[in-house]
Order: sequence, then C-alpha cells, then structure tokens
Amino acid sequence: MKKILWFCITMCINICLYAQSFVVTGVITDPDGDPIPGVSVLKVNSTVGTVTDLDGRYTINASQGDQLRYSFMGFESQTLTVGSGSVMNLMLQSDISSLEEIVVVGYGTAKKRELTGATSQVRGENIEKMNMPRLDQALQGQIAGVNISTNSGAPGGTSNIRIRGISTSGQNNPLILVDGVIYDAEGLNALNPNDIESVNVLKDGTAGIYGVRAANGVILIETKKGTLNAKPSLNFGAYYGVQQTARKLDLLNAREYAILKNEAFAAGGQAMPFNNTSLGTGTDWQNAVFQDAPIQEYNLTVTGGSAKTTYSIGGSYFGQQGIVGGPKANFERYNARINFTTELAPRVRLTNVLLFTREQSSSIPQGGIGSVLYNTVNAYPTEPIFIDGRYSYLENVNDIINPLAQMANTYNDTWVNKIVGKEEISYDINNQFSLVGRAGYNYALVDSKNFNPLVWYGPGKFANSAANANLDPVILNIGDLAIERGANVSESRNTYFDYNLEAFLNYNQTFAEEHRVRGTAGVSYIGNRSEGLNGVGFNIPNNALDLADISANQAPGGYLNNVGSFQSRQRLTSVFGRAEYDFKQRYFISAIVRRDGSSNFGVNNRIGYFPAVSGAWIVSEEDFYNVGALDFLKIRASFGISGNDQIGLFRYRGLLNGQARYVFNDLLVNGAAIGTTSNPDLKWETTEQTNFGLDATFLGNLDFTANYFIKNTRDLLFQPEVSALLGSYGAGGFPPVINAGNVLNKGVELELGYSIRRPSGFNINLDYNVTFLKNEVTSVPQGLDFIPGAAFGVGGSVATRFQQGFPIGYFIGYQTDGIFQSQEEISSSPVAQPGAQPGDLRFVDQNGDGVINFGDDSDRVMIGSPIPDVIMGVTLGMDFKGFDFSANVYAALGQDIIRNYERQQPFANQLAYNLERWTGPGSTNEVPRLTTGQTRNTVFSDFYVEDGSFLRVRNIQLGYTLPQTLTQNLRISSVRLYVAANNLVTLTRYMGFDPDVGAGNPLFAGVDNGIYPQARTIMGGLNIKF
Amino acid sequence: MRNIYIAIILAMGILSSCDQLLDIEPEFTQDAENFFNTPQDYERALVGAYDLMQTSYLSIWIGEIASDNAIAGGESVNDSRGLHEIDNMTHGGVNTELRDIMRFNYAGIARANYIFEHRDNLDFPGKDQIMAEASFLRAYYHFVLVSYFGDIPLVVDKRLSISEVTASVRTPKIQVYNQIETDLRNAINVLPWTNPETGRITKGAAQALLGKVLLYQNKYSEAAQVLDELISTNQAGYALFPDYATMFYLINENSSEDVFTIQYSGLQGGDYACFVCLQGNPAVGFHGIRLYNGPFYGDGNSYNLPTQNLYNAFDANDPRRDATLLDIDAFIAAQPNSGNISYAVGGGGHTGYYNNKYIKRLNERGLPDDDLTSPLNYRVIRFADVLLMAAESFQQSGNDERARVELNKVRARVGMPLITSSGNQLLQDIYRERRLELSGEGYRFFDLVRTGRAAESIEGFQAGKHELFPIPQVEIDLTGGNWQQNPGY
Repeated sequence: MKKILWFCITMCINICLYAQSFVVTGVITDPDGDPIPGVSVLKVNSTVGTVTDLDGRYTINASQGDQLRYSFMGFESQTLTVGSGSVMNLMLQSDISSLEEIVVVGYGTAKKRELTGATSQVRGENIEKMNMPRLDQALQGQIAGVNISTNSGAPGGTSNIRIRGISTSGQNNPLILVDGVIYDAEGLNALNPNDIESVNVLKDGTAGIYGVRAANGVILIETKKGTLNAKPSLNFGAYYGVQQTARKLDLLNAREYAILKNEAFAAGGQAMPFNNTSLGTGTDWQNAVFQDAPIQEYNLTVTGGSAKTTYSIGGSYFGQQGIVGGPKANFERYNARINFTTELAPRVRLTNVLLFTREQSSSIPQGGIGSVLYNTVNAYPTEPIFIDGRYSYLENVNDIINPLAQMANTYNDTWVNKIVGKEEISYDINNQFSLVGRAGYNYALVDSKNFNPLVWYGPGKFANSAANANLDPVILNIGDLAIERGANVSESRNTYFDYNLEAFLNYNQTFAEEHRVRGTAGVSYIGNRSEGLNGVGFNIPNNALDLADISANQAPGGYLNNVGSFQSRQRLTSVFGRAEYDFKQRYFISAIVRRDGSSNFGVNNRIGYFPAVSGAWIVSEEDFYNVGALDFLKIRASFGISGNDQIGLFRYRGLLNGQARYVFNDLLVNGAAIGTTSNPDLKWETTEQTNFGLDATFLGNLDFTANYFIKNTRDLLFQPEVSALLGSYGAGGFPPVINAGNVLNKGVELELGYSIRRPSGFNINLDYNVTFLKNEVTSVPQGLDFIPGAAFGVGGSVATRFQQGFPIGYFIGYQTDGIFQSQEEISSSPVAQPGAQPGDLRFVDQNGDGVINFGDDSDRVMIGSPIPDVIMGVTLGMDFKGFDFSANVYAALGQDIIRNYERQQPFANQLAYNLERWTGPGSTNEVPRLTTGQTRNTVFSDFYVEDGSFLRVRNIQLGYTLPQTLTQNLRISSVRLYVAANNLVTLTRYMGFDPDVGAGNPLFAGVDNGIYPQARTIMGGLNIKF
Repeated sequence: MRNIYIAIILAMGILSSCDQLLDIEPEFTQDAENFFNTPQDYERALVGAYDLMQTSYLSIWIGEIASDNAIAGGESVNDSRGLHEIDNMTHGGVNTELRDIMRFNYAGIARANYIFEHRDNLDFPGKDQIMAEASFLRAYYHFVLVSYFGDIPLVVDKRLSISEVTASVRTPKIQVYNQIETDLRNAINVLPWTNPETGRITKGAAQALLGKVLLYQNKYSEAAQVLDELISTNQAGYALFPDYATMFYLINENSSEDVFTIQYSGLQGGDYACFVCLQGNPAVGFHGIRLYNGPFYGDGNSYNLPTQNLYNAFDANDPRRDATLLDIDAFIAAQPNSGNISYAVGGGGHTGYYNNKYIKRLNERGLPDDDLTSPLNYRVIRFADVLLMAAESFQQSGNDERARVELNKVRARVGMPLITSSGNQLLQDIYRERRLELSGEGYRFFDLVRTGRAAESIEGFQAGKHELFPIPQVEIDLTGGNWQQNPGY
C-alpha cells in the first residue's frame, strides 16, 4: 500500500504541472456492474496516473485527445481517448487469459503467475467447442509439448497421449487424475468432454510430486463445479452431424487391374489371367464399404449454489456410428454426474464427486492385416460384391475375404459401466493450516460378447468357421469321438477397481509482509484390484444371433467349451512434501520430495525417493525493470526426478505361468513351465528432467511462454531379447524384465496467446503453440544391438527398431536409388545386386563392399522415423454482434509412415501409382516393374516409406447467439445456434486413408496397416442457457 | 500447533505400516522357486519339457529346403525370408528361422534342466521314468542344436542366470555328443518298450535316436550295435507299415512303424502371433497348395516345394515317388471336373510339386486357423529309418550282408527290386535309398553333410562353410560377443 500511496502523491504533483488540462472523473465497474477498486488509470506516454477508490471512482487531470489506459489484474486493459466530456465511466471485461488464472497442480492450486514449473492449462470451453467424442481428441494440438496420435478413427477408438516425447519402449501413458481420482488413459472414452472444467498438464520435474507414476507427465482433469450464492443455471446443448470418409484410396479399376495383372503374370512366366481387359471400372469396394454415419450428442447441466453449498449436476447422451461398419462400429455413451460441496461445520467442507458412465460399443476388425479396410484395399475390382445372391468369395486371393461379408458376420459388443467418485473433507484449521482427507475410487465393470457364427468366406479362407458353403460344422475327432464344432459365443466379465486414500496438510503464512512460506505434507495409498472371468460356449443352435449366449450352448459333453479367469493386484504407498518460499511475490523457490513404495518390485528395490526443485523470478516486478511494451516477464527453472513403475505385476518373480502343453493319447495335457524369468533386482525407470522457461506478456494482450527441456530417462524397464541359453522362449515364456537402456528427449515449446476486445464489440482470441522435439535412444541393454518392432508385410522382416543413436521406433530398410533400366546397366553396375532384373529397384550399397547384402544388416539404414519433428496447433476465436467463429488447426511435421496395407499377392488389387510402373528403358525411375515371379522389389525399402507430415483443420465452427431481446421474454438467458465441421481439410502428401497413424506401442507407431480413418463430420447444434 | 505435530507423527506411523501393505503375493499361481513338492509337480514340469518338441516344423523345413530336395516357396521372397536365404545358400548371422531353432531348443533344454535341478527334492515311485524321459528330451534338443551349429554351450542340470550367460563358451561338439549319449543311455536303461499312453517316449525311441546320434559322429560299429539291439530285441513290435502311400495319413498315425514321434493335435486353435504356442503342426498347412480349390487337399501357403531333381531321383515305378511328391497339375488333370479345380502360384517360387507326406488334406484339419493346427504327427524316426541307419552302420563297419538284409526290408515293402551290390556301391545304394525313403521328412541336408556329398549336390554349397549353420549373430552379441562364429560366416 505504501507504494501505491507514494505513487499517488507523485502523480498528483505531476498533474499540477499541466495547467491546460481539466479534471476527468468516472466509475470503473465489472461486467456485473459492481465497482472495481484499485484500477490503475494511466495517461499514455506519460507518468501521470491514479487508481480507483473503494467505490471504483477515479479522478485525473487530462486534456482533450489524451489517451487513458485502464488496467487491473484479472481484467482486460482498455484505452479510451479523452473527448470533451469530463465523465468517463467504463466497464472492464474480465480477462480469461490473465496471470491470475488458477491452475491445478499436485495437491493444491496456484496462480499462474506464481508457477515455478512448466504447466499448461486448457479451459473447458476450448474442449467443449471441439465437439470431439473423446477428451484426448479434443486436446490434440491445444497444448505445447503434448502429442496426441490416433490409434483408430473408429467410434470408441483410442488415442495416445505423449507428453514431451517418448521416454520408454514400454508404458508411455501419462498419469491421469480426474478430480484427484486415478483414471487410466484407455478409459478416457468414459468422460464426457462437456463435463470438463479444465485440463492441467504438469510437464516438467515438478510433476514429481506424483513420484513413481510421474515420469510420463501428469494430467489433472477437473470437472465442472458450482459456485456459492448462485441461482440455478440450466444449460442444454445438442448437436447432430453426419460423418463421411475424408479420403478414399486411388486403387486400380477393373480394366487397369486386368492390364497390370496380365503384365505381371507374363513377367513371372505365367499365363496371363485376362483374355479380355475391357472390363470397365468394375467393383469399387471402397464405395461399398464406406458409408455416411450419424453422430449426435445431447447434454443437460444444472449449476448453482447457496451460501454453504455448491452443486453441478449433469447428464448426457452421445452416439456415434462408424463410416465403416455403420451400426456394427457403434459407440454410445450415457453420462450422469454430480459435483456437490457443502459446509458441514464452520471451516469444514465436504466435496463429493460422482461420475457414472455407461458405454455400449460394437466393433469390427480394424487396424491390422485381416481388418475390414485391409481387405477392402486388396479386394480386386473384377469381382462383384454379390454372386448368385451370396457374398462373393474373392477366390483368387489367399487370406483376403469379402469385406462386406466380414462386416455382416461380425458381432462384437462391449458394455462398460463405470463409477468414479471422490469424498473429500477439508478442514481449515486456522489461517495458516488446512487439512484435506480424501477417498477416491474408480470402479469399472466391462462385459463383452463376441458371437462367431458358422461362416464360409470362400474356399480356403482362413477365417472360415464352417466346413463348406452349406455352413455345415467342422467335425473334430477327439480320440474315438467325432464332434461337431458349431457356432460359438465368447463372453467375458472383467472388473477393475482403483482406489486411493490420501491425506495432506497445507500451510501458508506470510512473514513481515514480504516472506511467504507455503508447505504441503501428505500421505497417499493407491490400490488396484482387477478380476475377470471368461468363457466360450460352442454349438449355438441354428447359428442364430438371438440365441448367442453361453447358456444356449449345445456342445456335446461340454467338449470344446472353455473357461478362464484372471486376477491382479498392485499397491503404491507414498509420503510426499513440498515447501515453497517467495520473497515480495518476486522470487519463488520450491522443493518437492516424494517417497514411493510400489508392489511391482521386489523387496530389494521397492522404495524410491523422488526429489524436485524449481524457482522463478518475476523480472518485471523489479524496480529497475523498465520495458514498456513488456508488461510481465518471468524466468523459470526446474529440475526433478520421477519414476515409472508401469511394467505389469510381479515381473520381478519367476512364476509358473508359462504354457506347458503336449499331446498324450490324442488329448491336450497341461503341465507347468516358468513364464517370465525372475529378476529380483528390478527397479523403477528414472526420468531426470531439466526445464528452463520464460513467461511474458506484451502490451497487455499478448501472452508468451517458452520452455526448453532436457528429459533423460534411465534404467528403462523392458524385456529385451536375452540369450537363448536362458531358455526364456518357450510358449508363454518371456525374458526377464531388466533395467537397461536410456532415452533422451529434448525440445522447445512455445505458446502464444493473443486476445483483443474492440469497443465496437469485435473480439478475437488467437492461441498458437508449437513444439520441436528430438528423440534419441542413447543406450540399449548390453550385448544387444536393438529391440525389434513391427514387421513389414506378411511374414516379412522387422522394419522398426529401438536402437542406440536413433529415435524410438525408427524405420530400417534398404535405400533405393531409382530403377535399373536395362540388363546392361545391371551388368555394368559396380554394385552387384543378386537377382536384379531391368525394372527392379536399385538399392544403395551402404557398406561399400560392392554387393547388396540381403542376408544381413550391412546395407540397411534408417529410412524414416514415426516421430514428428514439429507439432503445432492454432486456435482462433472471433465474435462480433452475436456471431462467433472459431477454428482449430493442428499440424504434425517431419514424421514418416510405412505403407503396409498392400498385400503382396499376385491377384490382390493395387494402388493406382502402379500405372506409372517401369515398362521399359526410360519409362520411369520411380515405380518398379510388376511381376508375379521372384523379386526383391518387395523387401522393405524407402519405396514403402512416405512423408507423413500433415496439417488438419480439426474443427471449424460458426455460431449465432440470438439477441436477448428475443429470448428474455421466454426466461431464456441465451440461445446459440451453430454449424461446425470436424476434419474438414487435411493437407498431406501421404497416400493412405489418414496420416494420423498412432500406436500404443512406440515400436509400432507410423506403421499403417489400413488405419480406420477419422471421419469428416458436418454438424449443426445449439446451446440454450436458462 | 500441537495438533500439527500430532498429525505429522500420525502420518509417520501410517508410513511405516504402509510398507507392509506392499507385501502382496500373486494369487492362484505357483512360484518357480517353490515347486517340485509332489510327484504331480514333476510330471507337470515334464509336460513342459515335452512341449518344445512341437517346434519341429522348422526342422522339416530347413532339412529339406537347405538340400537339393526342395525350395522355400511361399507368398514372396519376403515370406519367411530366412528360409529363402537358406534355400539360396546365402544365409548369414541374421536369420529368424535359425534363431528360432536356437531359442526353442534351448528353451526345451532349460525346461528339462529345471527338473534335473530339483531331482533330489522328493523320492517317489515312478520318478526314474520321469527322469529318463527328461534325459531323452534334453538329448534330443542338444542333438538338434549340435547338428545345426556344431559346438554349442552345454548346459546341464541347472538353469542359467543372466549373469552366467556372458561367461558361457561354445563347448566342443564332442563333449556335447558325449552328454547326449549319456542322457540317451540313461533313458534306455529305464524306459519301457511300450507305454499305454501314446506319445510317451519309449526305450525304442531312445535307442533309435542314439543310433542316429552315433551315425552322425561316424561311430558306425557302436551305431550298428545299438540299432541291432533295437531291431533284434524289438519288444515293441516295430514293423514296416504295409502301405507306403497311405502311411502318412492321420488315420495311420502311431502305427507300428512309428519309433519316435512328436505328437500334434488339432484341438487348439492358433494364430500367426505365436508359433511356439501351437499344438498343431504348422508345417503341414504351410506345405498346402496355395489357394487350392478342389478335392482331397486343403489349401495352404506353398512352402517347402519339392524339386524336379527329387522327382527325377525316383524310378518311375517306385510308389514312393507319388507318395512323396504331389504333382499338382497331374493330380488335377486326373480328377473329374478338373476344369473347376484351381490353385495359385506364390511369389516365393513354384516347382509344380508339393510335399505329399506332410500336407493339409481336407479331412485332416484342426481348428482355425487350420494352416497352423494340423493334427498330423511328425514321425521323427520311422522304423524304415532305423533299418536304413542299421544298413549304413553295418556296411560301414564291414558287414555288407547284414547291410543288404536291412536295406532290402525297406525295398521289399514298396515292391522294389532287391539290392545285391556290395562295398562302396552298396553304400551308395543305401544313401540313395535314404533319399527315396525319407525325402520330405527333414533329413536330406544333414544326410548330405554327414556323408560328405553336400557340395556336389547342393547348388551354392561351399565346403568348409555350409556344413554348419551360422550362430545367430544376436546370440553371440547377447552373450558378450565371446563366441567365435562358425567358419566362413
């Protein structure tokens, strides 16, 4: 206050110096009309200024034409020009992107300006606006340093969240807490994005408050809460949209197919299969498989509060069908939610959160060899979809079946019922201390049913379950018994129960007005228990779906039927503390330590200590600071150690859970064998992260944040290949889990936020973030060159690896150098390439030994990486006089994709680029000749690797809010109508369905087996507030 | 403030008691270090040791494809690339199939050694027989490894730990063979001639394998002695199955001709993700005719395709030719409605012939995916092989007369004229007879190598190099890089 007083006195003196000026007065109010005391009023380009009093009133001497700048923390600054009038009242708009914003950090909250760590936040409205089925999809491109890739665009499909790169060949999912309750990343489907108040991401070492689970970063999700003393406010939202595929592949039509196959067969020395190639376009399998599919959501929320109680209650329905499979690829979600707080006694508050979800989903085979889209791409166009009233057989291709028949015979349903809740009591002991105790739980019941009718896809198809086209069952001989193997149904019921009990004490005291000390100390106990029971019943009567239940099975003597179960438990006990000190709100320092005990490790290494320190300096608070345009400047640094214990249960022990099965008397006999080889010295992975950061605000409306991080993960937990001598490679046997290998992630993150509000009512918000990342494996287990990942083609060699000096999951194969144009060129080439013929790919002799070695690695090099070099996102919001427009654009650049959906079979259909194949000397230097004979053109080379960079307009939306004059008579506070499009435009050079090709396992990322693409959706919706 | 201290002390108290919460045991499963407490435990561990024999599909492939009998075949040259390299004699230290041979057989050894490690935990009636079967299994796995790789680290009676691996060395093969012989003799002493449970290893199986092991070391007189004992005593009633043409059908399994057989079942489904998990014989489906749509045979992956060279080796009137090789075009032409029968040629090569012994037939299929789940057993050593091995051993140890007797038993079964030659000609006749009798069963390459005829018979074969397969380079690296690679690789 002293400072302000001095300031005022100085100002007054200054004012006296301006003789020609007159007195301007006014009242500054907030949007509710209440006066704001303490608003700074400054004459621009001068040192003249004042502040408003308790009634929001100010007085200042100014001349006509002077500009007055009004600013106050938490509100948008505004500048007005002095006219002839002497009264200038003003309503300040609250500033949502200000530094006073409350960010949720571990076991507490902090103002953004006080943060010492690298933390990002996404507000609920920015998630809601995306109209994405899943929360993680809505987050793509919204947070610097967070890369979200898609495993499948199918309804209910999952994504991968990777915070600051990929740290391990194992579990890379971050720790996710919803209102403090542990939530697994796979289960994010259960959350309704509209229920989210904010998403907070702890990216650096300060996440270490969560210790052994924090190495992959921590995401803290808060659901919507009510406010004290607020009338009930009712929100209704709905949208309906139509989805369609954004892209179809350019495949050969019937005529082109016939011509190219004739050529290939002739080149392979076989009879040409088509005498007549005038076959027109033939069957377009993609047209038959892709369809328009609906997507819709309805949700209702009531929020409010009394003097002692707040509440937020909501319910919603979401439904989405698939662009492939329609109702066979369906996802429906029902949510009910209550967030309730009340004052039980003075200074004692109860918080109750309850989220219930029911999901119903159906799925079709996707994302692999044998998936519907893989079959669609490889089905040949000369085959009609139906022959003689039945699905065609595609008899010329092995293992490729009619994709429409496949969908028609798929019955794969899952139901999830999930309850997530928290009971929390907080007690404000006195002004310094408060105590919080809470119990959280997350209980999921997952039922699934899979009906496998007797089907006949055609002669020799591996997927046949019937013996013939009459759908007769296969007869099995067990000893002297002959048993019919009819339709079967498999069912499972699994329960997953996570619970946490936590208590922590917060301390907050300021000494001598300048020294503030804060502390947190607590204990935590996290447990997990899951169980499952499953069974298969055979010989479902009549091959009928309506009898598809285990109870209906008619398997003779119970032969064929099968049952199984599993159960697992894990526990984590922790103690943690955090101490924070700041001086004059200018210098901040914070220290964290957490002690974790995890049941995933043996007694030798069960306990771990995880420390972190961080500090910040708000430079702009210094007296010497004098940079006009830069209102706020803060420098941060942090260093922390965190862990990863997610390696499965009891891996430190040797258990007899291997498969030991042999045949005596023609019957299967079970024995005992060691599963995973034991390693009692197993310990957690350790991630050391250093972060340097900077936060700045320019001209009051441009926020800028930069972070540079170095993240070093040591003692990676994985099961590398081990020597055969250990005997780990029997059925159900696995190598021991060991600690070996290091990974380094380095990167720069930049975030820009710009907002401007014009007095005319035209407002713009623009957020931009960009992340540059470098990922490198810095060591692998001793004696091992690499860990193999995904295979190329069918039965093909390993195409991706985890190897020292390369990014995780990089692609290794032959580098090509054009096409051999003639036999002469082959003979005269200084490099011998065994088996090469004119028209074949010419490979590069990497080791310079004058021969292309196909039997070893000496000529194979890195030919791609699935990890983007740069990811970025832009969110734009504009509104003017009731109209609003928003857009979200995401781009990932520099990653590569393996085109792995082309089946290398003589009769499989092919992509249209083969029309540009080599046909003779000089015809092309790009695409090799076609042949059914032996060729090495099909070994994994850069010919099969494409640039996967893309830019996608994720969401674009135009809305109109009806004028209040129209709605207020109906007691409706606002009505907004909008039209929107998701994934409207994707710019990429990639040939496949969708360049956003993710995989849960980092060694399988960027391998496209015919990914189920994300739909392009056109939708319309409305929001009504009462 | 006092309340705070109490709270902190309370928290500390919770902490120390919390650590005990971490002592949880895995449920409903046994710990590997606390096993072998009942006779059933021994029996169950033995089943685990048997399990790895079902990886013999690799031996059927490599033993043929490496030789002049067959080419690799398949969908493309990428399809099991390792087999194509072996086919072309361009194989090196990176080869999935060879690595699998090493991994699977050492897994079998480790499972047998797991029993030996705990042999003294418990005494009970019948333990001798369990140990004898375990001895046989360990010998079999070692024998596969030594015949592929030569000197191999010998591991007996215990499981290796990670730290011991880097200290391992390649034991000279003579010592490995000594261990194999010891194990087999121990088995022979205990095992009964017959076992009511089909699939159990018997005395005859152990004798036959010992005979083969001795023959591979050129210990002819010892081999002759062991094989003679088997043939003369023959309390199991081994005999040649009368009809060679149908001998390999499912209905004729576990017949009097089967001396040592690996059992398979079609009762467990399978997928391509885990071959070692299969209970069926994947070689059979893989040998199947690609995209075949017609009578009698099922379709498959066109692997391990017999060559014209093999076809030509047979006399036209030898019934074994058509029983060994399926001439697909001739077969189709002989069917009614042959115009409706179709099949396809894979990009991995085509010879016109398929392995007719181990091939998917329509009425012999297992559960889906039936390319992987054939119930057809692998007849590792048939009585015919015993007789031919005996013939060779007797001839090499100077007993031509006895050699001709055994050889002509095999000739007589298929109605071929008897052999009257002697000396080196007799030896050559025996070698030829082995090819005619045993082709398609995975022995040709090893027969050629051990008799010194590989270089003259196999295109690309370099003497001094290709007698042994290379040790997978990664296995050398994983043990610290101390092993010397086999010569020439």
